[in-house]
Amino acid sequence: MKASNGLLKEMWKQRAAYLFLLPKLILFVLFILIPVFWAFLIAFQEYGYSGSEWVGFKNFMTTFTSSTFHVALLNTLKYTVFTVPVTIFLALGLATLIYPLGKWSQSFFRGAFYLPTVTSMVIIAMVWRWVYNYRFGLFNYFLDFLGIPPQDWLNQSDTALWALIIMSVLIPPGVGVIMYLAAMGSIPETLYESAKIDGANAFQRWWRITVPLLKPTTLYLMMLSLIGSFQVFIQVILMTGGGPGDATETIVHLIYKTAFRDLEFGLASAQAVVLFIITLIFGVVQYRIMYRKGEE
Amino acid sequence: MKTFKTVAVVTAVSLLGTALVGCSSEEKKEETANWTGKITIWDGPRWKDDKENKYHWLEKVAADFEKSHQGVDVEIVQVPWAELNDKLGVSLAGKKLPDIAPVDISGNGVNPMFIKQKAVEPLDAYFTAEEKKDFYPNALEAYTTDGKMYGVPAAMTVHSLLLNLDIFRERNVEPPKDGLWTWDEFTEKMKKLTYDKNGDGTTDVYGFSTYIKNGYYEAWPFLYMNGGRPLSDDASKFTFDAPEALSAMKDLADLKTSAKVAPKEMGSGDVGGTWKAFANGKTVAVEPWATWAISAAQGAKMNFMVASYPSKDGKPVTIGGVGGWTMFHQEEEGKKKVLADLLKELTSTENQVLSAKSYGTFPSRLSAMEQDPFAENVQMQQAQKLTEYAVMVPRHENWKKIDEAIQQQLQLVLNGEKTPEAAMKEAKSKVDGLLK
Repeated sequence: MKASNGLLKEMWKQRAAYLFLLPKLILFVLFILIPVFWAFLIAFQEYGYSGSEWVGFKNFMTTFTSSTFHVALLNTLKYTVFTVPVTIFLALGLATLIYPLGKWSQSFFRGAFYLPTVTSMVIIAMVWRWVYNYRFGLFNYFLDFLGIPPQDWLNQSDTALWALIIMSVLIPPGVGVIMYLAAMGSIPETLYESAKIDGANAFQRWWRITVPLLKPTTLYLMMLSLIGSFQVFIQVILMTGGGPGDATETIVHLIYKTAFRDLEFGLASAQAVVLFIITLIFGVVQYRIMYRKGEE
Repeated sequence: MKTFKTVAVVTAVSLLGTALVGCSSEEKKEETANWTGKITIWDGPRWKDDKENKYHWLEKVAADFEKSHQGVDVEIVQVPWAELNDKLGVSLAGKKLPDIAPVDISGNGVNPMFIKQKAVEPLDAYFTAEEKKDFYPNALEAYTTDGKMYGVPAAMTVHSLLLNLDIFRERNVEPPKDGLWTWDEFTEKMKKLTYDKNGDGTTDVYGFSTYIKNGYYEAWPFLYMNGGRPLSDDASKFTFDAPEALSAMKDLADLKTSAKVAPKEMGSGDVGGTWKAFANGKTVAVEPWATWAISAAQGAKMNFMVASYPSKDGKPVTIGGVGGWTMFHQEEEGKKKVLADLLKELTSTENQVLSAKSYGTFPSRLSAMEQDPFAENVQMQQAQKLTEYAVMVPRHENWKKIDEAIQQQLQLVLNGEKTPEAAMKEAKSKVDGLLK
């Protein structure tokens, strides 16, 4: 009781700040919090145009027993497991290479790596469709150059998901680079100087000082990347449509089809809730592991 | 006393009720006759005018309708065809549907899920038996569920093979006489049409290609060739695992895997790429398309002809589609009447003839067909002959899911990743659950 009183008092003290936060908070409540809450409610209903019926856990049972959902979950997990670590490692590697450069060079590379981030994923997907084209794509051109027979990247079950993974990994991790560069700038120079005096070489200084002190940034980026990977959709709908067969079916693509093609909004909401819970579990586990390592 | 009171109350209530009913039916008549307000209509792009405007036809219909219905304002919302169904799904979820929207020509009539959700209005009250008689029965059938009419058919389409005659001439191959050919003739000609054009040792031009994608049926008439069908006549059993269907699937897949008369991309979901290979790149001699492609190929000034799908017994088979218009749920009787008037205008004989001439569709009205809209269009005349061989895809509440289960496996068959038997076994395991 006392604690809550104290909190309220503190909030009242900071009322000017809260007033500035209010517009964003209203938007957040209207367009995120209420729809999320609504989705949770719909997940327990047979939601229809002319009325809804409460069906309890039926939609969740359907989700858990659906072989299509299992395939989509497996594909999404595979995509996440391969894209998240590689993306983080690439961002860290690039930031490490850019950081020692002069002011102008650093600014140039910051811009160069961030620019693709603002490009629409739709455009990127269209370009990559050309890159993967069997007849005149860039990939097969290089394979031909090396004497390797061309692949129909997006139309074969054993290469389609890998094609999407490679594409995602090769999109420059602009946000990661920017954040790592900012975090690197906040590491005290004295730490490196004392390590140098102790005889540590460049790699040892990076491994023993830079990487551990970037843990909070890495954790944050991993969280962002994990959530993004679990929600992979645009690449799928534009490049493969979930095919061939169900080789590239992912959870969000399945949710989309269930809702807007099959008009089963209750089932789609249940699938979305399951995705939310899976992402939450992964996020919490990741946070725990990284946080503990950071503490150590 | 008590009895008197009861009688008095009942009498008073009855009188009041009668007065109210009289009043409301009077108001209803008034409202029906004089409804004014805004109508929202969605449509996809159709044929363009000299200003590249692909909505000019609907704009004119709307303007004329506003003139003849004072106080009615028609708002047109432009929706790309590819996004139409998804947009309708989103609108259904948000309970903000348009008043009228089209059904894509490649569709199979009104979506049963919309009927199930009571999102579309039955139209029987606005169409007399005489008016219904003017529609082809199979077109009307596509918009009829449980004896009720849930939309108005506006145009029909049929799938046919388009043949690039320049490649035929170049390879000295005779096109099929009257556009009819057997499977053996077809495969023989496809082999001759597949060749290395520039002499670099790799094939540049292929005889045949097609694509496989949910909701598209260009490849399916090949699968019907030996009598196979996806579902039984009463749509209660999966039948694409029957020998007739499996042998046809193998024949189609062999075009790519054994005979090598089709490119590696055949069977992918790339609609645009498949069309470009035929119309722009000219790297494929024969492709199956719906009739809209005839007008597109004519626009591209291609030298081509229309042919039937090959057959084993001399009787070709093809798949038809029925485009049209549906009215979505309405609260006001007066508005329904006005919307029905607009539906009649959109699907009038005159408008169907115009669409046939400009948009490459077949009329769904007998009176429009009687005007011979294809008198000067040889290719459309040829395609029209194929309508007698047309069958519709099955109508089932879960058809979209059934379709997906089949199409996914067909992709794998054409990729050479699965045998037809294994693929259809997998499809059956999913479809059986959907047919219950």
